[in-house]
Amino acid sequence: MLVHHLIDPTRLAVEIGYMIIVVSLCFMIFFKTGEIYDLTKHKGIKYFRITFLFFGLAYIFRFLSILFILINITFDIYLSINVFKIFSAFFGGYFSTMAILSLTYSTIWKKLQIKHPLLLFNAIAVLISCIAVISMSPSPLILLHAVLLSFTIIMATHSYSKSRKISPLFILYILFLLFWIVNLFILGPRRFLPIEIQIAFQIVSIAVIGIIYHKVTKWTK
Amino acid sequence: MDKVRRRRDRLEVVYDILKIIRQHHNSIKPTPLMRYSNLSSQSFSEYSNELLEKGFIKESTDEKGKKFLTLTDKGFRYLEKYKLILGFIEEFEL
Repeated sequence: MLVHHLIDPTRLAVEIGYMIIVVSLCFMIFFKTGEIYDLTKHKGIKYFRITFLFFGLAYIFRFLSILFILINITFDIYLSINVFKIFSAFFGGYFSTMAILSLTYSTIWKKLQIKHPLLLFNAIAVLISCIAVISMSPSPLILLHAVLLSFTIIMATHSYSKSRKISPLFILYILFLLFWIVNLFILGPRRFLPIEIQIAFQIVSIAVIGIIYHKVTKWTK
Repeated sequence: MDKVRRRRDRLEVVYDILKIIRQHHNSIKPTPLMRYSNLSSQSFSEYSNELLEKGFIKESTDEKGKKFLTLTDKGFRYLEKYKLILGFIEEFEL
């Protein structure tokens, strides 16, 4: 089932274009915030910028997962395809988990003091990646990321409830994380996601990252 | 909460110290700098050591052997970018 969807050249072109745009925007956010982090060593800026480094890498591995399946099917190359699948599942899971945790922490670090946050995030990310590899299915990753997203929403809502206003930025972040979870569906059977809907999701997700990028450039001239 | 305040203040204190040096034609002795920056000697010592370590300021000695503090390129860059840094932190609620 999956094969017929992926072999479609339109779908492949959409995936390549989407990956290039999203990864470029993520890496540009990371590099553009380099100077202000270097000058301040501010903890919030640190976790904000590594979020986009990790998301950029996660999107690359998400694309590689699709590509490995395609290569295997199209050219009938079976050699070590499982190694590639394990490789991309592990790193895709790892980088995306690190990104979600970093983004959450960048906004709540003042309220939630953790002694060694990166160590803790790495441990959680490795654990989730191992589960993704062992199951060889995106479903546990989708589920675990949905749990992390719920945690983010609860934490952010708790902090915003004191100020009695929901920030537009909070909505952007939620959409950004939500689109990542939607994007994971592409690695599964995807019976319920026609290409038109997928493209629509991808356009909106590019717009969300584009808005974040635009906000970043405003302050990093 | 105290730590938050401290962190926010920290960026501001660094800005104030660097601004004072610039206002004094980029050369000032440590004692008047401490006085103008309204810091205790212990806090001033911490900040000046940190700024020296991070390369925001450098120490120079005149022919009489007196110490002066001057801004480095990085120090000037911090002053130039300070408003943008604050804007960024506020924009992204960091």
